[in-house]
Amino acid sequence: MQLLAFMTAFATPLFLAALLIWPQARALVWRVMPFAPLPALVLAMLANLPLEAQAEWLILGLHFGLDEVSRLFIVFTALLWCAAGTAARHWMRDDARAASFGVLFAMAQAGNLGLLLAQDALSFYAFFALMSFASYGLVLHMRDAKAQSAARLYIGFVVLGELALFAGLALAASQAGSFLLADLRAAAPSGMAVALLIIGFGVKLGIMPLHFWLPPAHGAAPVPASAVLSGAMIKAGLFGMLTVLPLGSVAYADHGTVLMAAGMVTIFAALLLGVQQDNPKVVLGFSSVSQMGIVALGLGAGLMVPAAWAVILPVLVFLAAHHALAKGALFLGTGAYAAQTGSLSRIAVTLALLIPALVLAGLPASSGGFGKEALKTALAAGSPVWLPWLTVALSLSGIATTLLMARYIALIWRNPPKAPAKMAAEAVLLPFISLAAAALALPVIWPVLAQDMAAPISTAEPGALWPVGSAVLLAAGAATFAHAQHIGPSVFLAQLLAPFNALGARVDSVIAAKRRAARRVGHAVPKLLGETARRWRLGQTAIAGLIALILILEFGAGLLAETPAASPTAPPPAQIFTPDF
Amino acid sequence: MMDAPLLPLFILLTSLLASPILFALPERAAGLRTSINLSMAALKVALVGWLSLKVAQGVIYDLRFEMLPGLEFKLQADPLAILFIALSAVLWLITTVYSVGYLEHGPHRARFFGFFSLCVAATVGIAMSGNLFTFLLFYELLTLATYPLVIHRGDAAALRAGRIYLIYTLAGGLVLLLGTLGLWVLAGTTDFTPGGVLADVAAETPLAAQLLFIVLIGALGVKAALFPFHAWLPIAMVAPAPVSALLHAVAVVKAGAFGIMRVVYEVFGIETAQELGLTAPLAVLAGITIIYGSLKAITQDDIKKRLAYSTVSQVSYITLGVALASPIAAVGALAHLIHQGLMKITMFMAAGNLAEGLGAKRVSQMDSVGRIMPGTMLAFTLAALAMIGLPPLAGFVSKWYLAQGGLDAGQDWVIALLLGSSLLNAIYFLPMLHRAWFRDAASDKAGAPGRPRIGWMLAAPPVTTAVLVLVAGGLANAPFSPLEWTRFIVAIEYQE
Repeated sequence: MQLLAFMTAFATPLFLAALLIWPQARALVWRVMPFAPLPALVLAMLANLPLEAQAEWLILGLHFGLDEVSRLFIVFTALLWCAAGTAARHWMRDDARAASFGVLFAMAQAGNLGLLLAQDALSFYAFFALMSFASYGLVLHMRDAKAQSAARLYIGFVVLGELALFAGLALAASQAGSFLLADLRAAAPSGMAVALLIIGFGVKLGIMPLHFWLPPAHGAAPVPASAVLSGAMIKAGLFGMLTVLPLGSVAYADHGTVLMAAGMVTIFAALLLGVQQDNPKVVLGFSSVSQMGIVALGLGAGLMVPAAWAVILPVLVFLAAHHALAKGALFLGTGAYAAQTGSLSRIAVTLALLIPALVLAGLPASSGGFGKEALKTALAAGSPVWLPWLTVALSLSGIATTLLMARYIALIWRNPPKAPAKMAAEAVLLPFISLAAAALALPVIWPVLAQDMAAPISTAEPGALWPVGSAVLLAAGAATFAHAQHIGPSVFLAQLLAPFNALGARVDSVIAAKRRAARRVGHAVPKLLGETARRWRLGQTAIAGLIALILILEFGAGLLAETPAASPTAPPPAQIFTPDF
Repeated sequence: MMDAPLLPLFILLTSLLASPILFALPERAAGLRTSINLSMAALKVALVGWLSLKVAQGVIYDLRFEMLPGLEFKLQADPLAILFIALSAVLWLITTVYSVGYLEHGPHRARFFGFFSLCVAATVGIAMSGNLFTFLLFYELLTLATYPLVIHRGDAAALRAGRIYLIYTLAGGLVLLLGTLGLWVLAGTTDFTPGGVLADVAAETPLAAQLLFIVLIGALGVKAALFPFHAWLPIAMVAPAPVSALLHAVAVVKAGAFGIMRVVYEVFGIETAQELGLTAPLAVLAGITIIYGSLKAITQDDIKKRLAYSTVSQVSYITLGVALASPIAAVGALAHLIHQGLMKITMFMAAGNLAEGLGAKRVSQMDSVGRIMPGTMLAFTLAALAMIGLPPLAGFVSKWYLAQGGLDAGQDWVIALLLGSSLLNAIYFLPMLHRAWFRDAASDKAGAPGRPRIGWMLAAPPVTTAVLVLVAGGLANAPFSPLEWTRFIVAIEYQE
């Protein structure tokens, strides 16, 4: 029974892939595609943990299982595949190669869900390979020059990763005398095996210098595919490390150091490379690389100081869910943006895109903010030597991400990605909005979902505003500068002064109007005054009054000689008319 | 169930007797020829199934005829023999179907199928040989039976290939004769015995034993395409597709690899061979062949030539696994005997279909063939991915066991070797898959083919073997899978 549940979880998408070969079934399959991950999701949500099942007769004996960590991974992975499946259904409606995309999409999905359930090295490797190789077709789908070169790079790194993984798993299994992942962890594989495994999973995770494939692939793939590539599949690399490496029991100081250093470099180098890109989806890819650098910091710390792993692990799982939802939303949002034709709706989608962008950047009280603070706390349990650097790096990573997000927002305005011609404008909105909402609500959902594992998040500070804030300012400045460079400084200056000039002109015109009015008054008043004055002998009266006033003032001044004059006589207002007595 | 001591003989006769009948049939009698072919092949599969059940129950068949005093013709059906017979029986049936479809309107069909049957009979004989002398007889018969198949087309290239093939294999056969005599002289028997017959000789005169090892392995290495004796194999690929399929998967190269197994396990005994210090060099030689074959394969544009060099590489996995002298590696080696056969026959039949249906014989002509011939290319894809070593396909299982065996034997370089081989496999197979599935055909392709005209007899066999590739890997742990059977054998060979 349990076995059946496990098999259904990954066999459902495989079954859909097989059905797609049959042309008559295609329409139906696309309709069902969004629900393909549901068996896995249901299994993860409803199963009593820990759950295990075996199929001794499959390959060399398959073992499946579900624990706290894999359950959470399945939940966000399945959610992402649901959303991407919904998007793909619309995105591929008029695509000539829709069937081929669907087959590979479903196969990659089966691999992704399957590897989260696998409890032995062989089935894990099998599902990992299925996911990686099937995604080749997703990256290549557009078939243009960019997709060709991205796919070549992708498959090269996939093969490299698979080989490293094979060697690492073979070594670890030989040393453990078993190929159950639990035994592999318990047996403390040699440094060589751990290094190979880190390389194998590091390729998928996109940690520098193994990241080269990632941004182009995420840029070249169609929107629904990029969403799962970036949201779900690179997390498989993290999951692999969590389940295969003996984290928390054995210290691998050298490996940890290298991984941390690589993570540090990754966070910031991805920023430097990312802001130079012109394709918004490539920028998102670099942002993923940068984010995985943060994950690498946690992994490195765990390898260095096993005692700290208990607090690091829940944070990494949270960060994975956080990044999956936010990045998935951003990719689908890119598609939703591209599908909009009116500028008003484009502005609306852009505003909606700001939600996942800011969440990703670590806005206080968002999942990004909580996650980063929780990671800082968790890392404090790790190596004290590295701690100050890690804290600084984490804070600055907020700046890095915000800048990348700013670049992304700027680019979707300048180089909007293309959506299929006939796609309805609202087609991708639903999955996008759902993911964005999920990303926004994650801090609230997480304690319910993760229960025991949510503790570090629930107790974390909401995070600081200054990294995001300063980066927004910086980005605004940079955008202004870039704009100035773009249109030429003198034009920019003119543009910049235009409002002031306009205001000045407006003021001028107002003043001129007032002058005219005043002049009219000025003409009328003396006449009136003159008549009145003649009647009242106002001239003499005024002069007499004036003399009296001066006398009074003189007198008063003499009277108040000790104290300074309370009010010096104001200069008389400028005469704007000449009285014509 | 009735006990039939002559069962091995019957199995041999199914193809051996079919041969003269097929020769005698007139060229026109296609229907009768096909039915004889298929019924014999099917009968053989059934008999082999029966035999393997018996052997699994622990029955060992042993048939002897004394030809000269002390020189016996000996047939035996032990688990190792069953492994090879089962492979040849199943693939013979499938290849026969394919050949009938392939040569439907070709000339000289009587000759072809006659020698085809003879070739299979020789393979079965090699599998069931109970001593090196009997082995030698069938080994030479195999050479003579395959020569007409290689030159079947009869053009200059085929004749040249046939000549080179003959030179290599006859020379190898001659050296094997020498080796057999040497063994006779040294040990007084040529019987295959688990644990070997040369332990005493090796202790007394290790040099003689070492020399004998080199002679025997060298002789068998010719057919097993071990570097530097591999050159005939890529040349012989001018043969018709079913012949290439059979040559590469079952008959010739496997006969060599199987012979190496028998010699190492049952003439010398794995421990003796190890003590002589000759298994490690053999493993290195196999390693060199693996890398060399793959490197050569990369640059080939001719599909069949690329596959041929791939065979050079892949068959040496078997030798490697034997030479590593670890039971785990032996499981990998024996399983690979079957797995490589399934994978390579799939690829050769698929390549034949491409040539027949689309006229595509070169890799550069493979653009978008996947959309035109999805079944064939799906089969090819599965086989290629299996070659690279992706689970759950058959190739992964053997590779995993070889890797574990290498580590078990303390030969960590095997991992690097397997990685290199997988990488090279990926380098020469993935571009083919890329072309087949992800490239749009050039618009100016001469006579753009619509639906290719290949019948089910061509379409079904590669799909069938591809399914077997998937099943052999996916159900490797199930009873009667090749892997389970090899575990059974290894338990016997490593008992002593």
